[in-house]
Amino acid sequence: MRTKIIVLAVALSSAPGLLHAQFDFRVDNRDVQVHSFVSQGFAYSNENNYMTMDTSAGSFAMTDGAANISSQITDNLRVGAQVYVRNIGEIGKWHPELDWALVDYKLRDWLGFRAGKVKTVLGLHNDTQDMEFLQTWALMPQSIYPSDLRSSTIAHVGGDIYGDIRAKKLGTFSYTVYAGQRPQDPFGGYVLGLAAIGLNMSSYGGWQEGQDLRWKTPVTGLVLGASLMNQHITGGGSLTLSTAVDPFLIDMSVPDHSQEREHSLKDDYYQYYVQYARGGLQLEGEYRREYRNEWVGYYTSAMQPEFNFLVESNSLSWYGSAAYRVTKWLELGTYSSWFVFDSRQDWSLPTNHVRDEAVTARFDLNLHWDLKVEGHFVNGYGRFDSLRGFYEEDNPQGLRPSTTMLVVRTGFNL
Amino acid sequence: MKYLRFLFASLLGAFAASSLSAADLKVIANPSVGVSSVSVEDLKGVFLATKMSLGDGSHVEPVLEKDGPVHEAFVKEFLGKTDAALQTYYRSLVFTGKASMPKTLGADADIVAYVAKTKGAIGYVGSGATIVGVKTLEVK
Repeated sequence: MRTKIIVLAVALSSAPGLLHAQFDFRVDNRDVQVHSFVSQGFAYSNENNYMTMDTSAGSFAMTDGAANISSQITDNLRVGAQVYVRNIGEIGKWHPELDWALVDYKLRDWLGFRAGKVKTVLGLHNDTQDMEFLQTWALMPQSIYPSDLRSSTIAHVGGDIYGDIRAKKLGTFSYTVYAGQRPQDPFGGYVLGLAAIGLNMSSYGGWQEGQDLRWKTPVTGLVLGASLMNQHITGGGSLTLSTAVDPFLIDMSVPDHSQEREHSLKDDYYQYYVQYARGGLQLEGEYRREYRNEWVGYYTSAMQPEFNFLVESNSLSWYGSAAYRVTKWLELGTYSSWFVFDSRQDWSLPTNHVRDEAVTARFDLNLHWDLKVEGHFVNGYGRFDSLRGFYEEDNPQGLRPSTTMLVVRTGFNL
Repeated sequence: MKYLRFLFASLLGAFAASSLSAADLKVIANPSVGVSSVSVEDLKGVFLATKMSLGDGSHVEPVLEKDGPVHEAFVKEFLGKTDAALQTYYRSLVFTGKASMPKTLGADADIVAYVAKTKGAIGYVGSGATIVGVKTLEVK
């Protein structure tokens, strides 16, 4: 781990010399572009450890990066691919993954097709949440864009139909309709979170389909939109109750060493968003409702049924943010982010909510290099399966109701 | 005190850079582009990679200036963005596989030369720039 940080630090310190070299070349008289980014963060919290990092002692275990290659083959046809790698505490663990790889055929301005592994359009920033250089924030509002649950929405292996429709004085409507398989993520937060109850997940994924419609209104800078996603998830794992730090399954008398199987009966996301950007000012708000009803069953090692129950939640998430570019090199911002795991339960319980108030200063040292200093004032910590940054196994003294945290993050992009 | 002077100079520089208007620049195109005028909305669509062609149906390719007052004026007046917001917008497309970075050149003369030799190219230059081998598009 230490070696990786030293290698990254050397690479980052030599990067300024490379920043003016845009990596384009030509193959068979066609332009091929190569782009990349890398970011390194540091987080320090006063109480709870956050996002599987040892933040109460200060942690540099917050690194990610990507590289892509693409080419416009004909006027209508593009191809490209991107590899992404991250390590946030125990999440990601430096395992590179194919972030996207697609063929994009645009027949008309109002009709195009993408196929392959495609980043999913959901709300304002789902498909760009990894790219810190595109955002004001060191940490995206975790209510809507949880870093530990990234894989639940980030991409699908399938296809999109998309387009932009001009409606004259009414502005422009942009639509995306998609369907595909949600990839597995054995190094993501959901697998780590379930480890708290002694459950070792070996698979979790499935089919998803959805739509997004955004309206660039006649009011300059104002965008309104709505997204819908339905997922059909199946998963499986095994129990080792001796490793549990949360007695959820022990209290239900589920036999140890059982095999676990689960599938969704309903897993729907409804998301609505607004963005207003004018001059240096950017205002955003998003609201998501996730309704989840999952059947969970436990079996003997010979797959004889033992026990089953339904896990149902009606989660609400929202945030409002404001950012202002003061100068070419300085942007200031703040957001208030709310997550309620089950809106039918008491919202004030720390196990049922995570509220985060953040203030940020972003310094653009040049076109390719940024530095962010961000403070977080967090209340609540959710449950083992709601995640959003707080893991019982990383907080053996018990989770405290409030967390104050400093995050510093720098990134390079070419 | 030094910080206040620096802050004042930065703000002054930012103001000066954006003091050109649409009247101070020209939109130019390769002679292969079949139209002689373009609406602001169509121009915006071309430079924000949502529009691939203009009224005559031929494919068009945007060319941008790297920086400077002409670039700032074009981006503000016709795209409704700051340069920082525009760069963010293009990078969001590039890093999600939806588009390539558009061609970006340093000076008016380079823009004119590229637009003149590239089928479908559309760019912008200062109103006083020497334009040879390209056509000027009226922006309505």
